[in-house]
Amino acid sequence: MTAVKALLLTFCHWCDASFFGHGIRDSTWLFPFVEIFHLLALGLLGGTLVLVNMSLLGVRFRGEPVSALARDVRPWMVGSIAVMLISGFLLFSTEAVKMYGNWAFQLKMTFLLLALLYTFTIHRKVSLAEEPRIGPLWRRLAALLSLLLWIGVALGGRAIGYVTTPPSAVGH
Amino acid sequence: MSFLAWLHDTQLSVTMRDSIWAEPIVETIHVLTLTVFLGFVLLIDLRLLGLALKGRRMSRLFEELNPGLFGGFAVMVVTGLLLFCGDPLSFFSTIFFKVKMIMIVLAGVNVLVFNATIGRTLARWDLALRPPLAARATGLVSLVLWVAIVAAGRAIAYALPPP
Repeated sequence: MTAVKALLLTFCHWCDASFFGHGIRDSTWLFPFVEIFHLLALGLLGGTLVLVNMSLLGVRFRGEPVSALARDVRPWMVGSIAVMLISGFLLFSTEAVKMYGNWAFQLKMTFLLLALLYTFTIHRKVSLAEEPRIGPLWRRLAALLSLLLWIGVALGGRAIGYVTTPPSAVGH
Repeated sequence: MSFLAWLHDTQLSVTMRDSIWAEPIVETIHVLTLTVFLGFVLLIDLRLLGLALKGRRMSRLFEELNPGLFGGFAVMVVTGLLLFCGDPLSFFSTIFFKVKMIMIVLAGVNVLVFNATIGRTLARWDLALRPPLAARATGLVSLVLWVAIVAAGRAIAYALPPP
């Protein structure tokens, strides 16, 4: 565990010192510019996830196969996840060492890891499955878990700005 | 200006300013609702442009998304107004706030234009993979406006004096 922590911290130091970390930090408009991409992708990701999950829950697009809708929005969902990861990493790299000691950021990353794993395994299987293969109860549970995990990511992200990192928690 | 000064002194405004929790909670609701409202707007714009949800019945899409769109918009307006109440004079003093409000009105006008023109013949192109030019144009206008509205919204946070 200590080895992993040390590795993560080294990575954070490297990010802080990298040309993009530097460049975005030193520019007045690059940070907000990247943030706008993060927000737009957030909108699209949220929209597609809510649609698929509402459909799994049986509250929207009734009488239509969930799998067809899930397939239709999939490129936009995966694309917005990609934009979120890239823009999020760039924002992170401007103050990576500070983020390392921020509990809200740690919480967000934990939820993010779980949400990504879940989205590309179980949730993918359930939402793309042909209708009779998975019962309605399981579909609903799968949808709720997806919403919960992603809301966890979002709330963790919101909290980052409000958490002040004590200087003692950072650094070597 | 006197209205803003009056608003600034109301209890609501004082609470939004002084409470530790009011601003973060309201802003979190504003941003979380963005995922439904903006997401649905973008999906409809992309469908109008013939880029996403191809071959899906446009009328069905409106039917399914409208509750989320209207409900989401209502929440965005209420939470947005509450955030504005927290510091109306500073908000109003930034160019980004004014531009954002103007663009939201324009986005509304764009919806009205759609409903009054090409939207009337929706039945004729309901399933079109590539909707008619007028429909694509309103989709593009909406897309550009909402991207700019998000950008202006973000810019307000940077233009406001630090708390």
